[in-house]
Amino acid sequence: MRINPASVSAGAGQRRLNTARLLTYLLLAIALMALDQRGKLNAQLRAWSERAVAPVYALVDQPVRAAERLGDWSHSRETLTASQQAQREMLLLQAAAMQRLDALEEENRRLRALLGAAAGQEFSYRFAELLRVSLDPYSHQVRINQGSEAGVFVGQAVLDGQGVMGQVETVTSGQARVRLISDPDHALPVQLLRTGQRSVAIGVGDVGRLVLPNLPIQSDVRSGDVLVTSGLGERFPPGFPVAIVSEIRRDTGGAFLEVSAEPLAALDRGREVLLVTVLEVPEDNPASAPALEAEPAAPLENATGEDL
Amino acid sequence: MKRTQDRVSVLLLALFLALLLTLAPLPVALEPLRPYWVALVLIYWSLEVQQPIPLGAVFLLGLLLDVLLASLLGLHACSLLIMVYLVRRFRPRIRFFPPWQQALAVLLLLLNDRVILLWLSVLLGEPVPSWRYWLAPLVTTALWPWVFLALDQARLVRRQVGKH
Repeated sequence: MRINPASVSAGAGQRRLNTARLLTYLLLAIALMALDQRGKLNAQLRAWSERAVAPVYALVDQPVRAAERLGDWSHSRETLTASQQAQREMLLLQAAAMQRLDALEEENRRLRALLGAAAGQEFSYRFAELLRVSLDPYSHQVRINQGSEAGVFVGQAVLDGQGVMGQVETVTSGQARVRLISDPDHALPVQLLRTGQRSVAIGVGDVGRLVLPNLPIQSDVRSGDVLVTSGLGERFPPGFPVAIVSEIRRDTGGAFLEVSAEPLAALDRGREVLLVTVLEVPEDNPASAPALEAEPAAPLENATGEDL
Repeated sequence: MKRTQDRVSVLLLALFLALLLTLAPLPVALEPLRPYWVALVLIYWSLEVQQPIPLGAVFLLGLLLDVLLASLLGLHACSLLIMVYLVRRFRPRIRFFPPWQQALAVLLLLLNDRVILLWLSVLLGEPVPSWRYWLAPLVTTALWPWVFLALDQARLVRRQVGKH
């Protein structure tokens, strides 16, 4: 703190406030906001500042996590057995579904080979947990506990068990910040699963709603239709579920539909997420080792090692 | 000289705790009610301590809060600057208010801050938040007396420790 001897001797803190200085700082802050809003702020600056504050997140995250663990211990034996039973049943059901999926995948691969089409993509998933810190509730971003050391990269798609959550925006060595699909700045290329109609799902700042603007009035959309990622834009791999169409309205001009959809992922309640990495499969022999030339080898191998 | 430095250490500790409390997770339903801890500490300090906090430091603190909360860079800086300025401007008057009027003044400051934040975010094209947005100042004001007492106590203890 700066000490001004004049003001100390003056006593009651009557020193004139420096309005010019206030205005300078305010203008500076507003200029920063405008730059940040338009995405013109130096990405390096943002990355550097986040690296500096990363320990603070850990400081909040650790005690909360410890308290949760303590809470887990206090569960009674009955609840634990019940939940274990439920999970075993779910695993069995999903394993059964997977068996069919494997056969379908094999068939799909053969058909693609017959058609001479490009081979489908394969994915590896990496598990990450959300940090137990809460960011500005109006910013639609979360932090996860995996960073560049684990092979997380900017632009990587983030899912939870139900659907697409968002994409990685900045990475530090042990953490990453994820922008959710509900952010008003986020647009996600999607496709109606039933008809194949392509569109873009745009966030509106509400975790329960995405909108699809500019669908022509005659397009075939029904309430309850599932939206999946279309893979256009190359950020998100194709075919992952995103949302369910909840409301269809004509816009005031009458030429387009205003479609709202409800995200499938638990954007505001999730605890665990999956990070998706696309593995390039060579066309001739999909069984051979995945080619990894596009990415640094070490983190990717690490990621596949802990494949789920 | 020595005493001023002692006080700065109390301020830094209080601000650090305020930052941690700001980041501490809350249930989803309570999220919009999150108290503005940093503002409480700054209001207290600007009211009760004669040495003003330099505006440059307030600006940097605001930027730090923006980085931590992943909000628009400069948003909280703006909000805190205006708040500290207003408190310093009306300090001689607010200081001699009875406690309940002081709390009312704090509520007005916080509401004014919300109006400014809303105005800024609409100006920058962000969506308008729900009505729960306006509940946070009430929760923050409810915490004001406790923060006031705690910080008073902390300064007192610090001063006594400094004497020995």
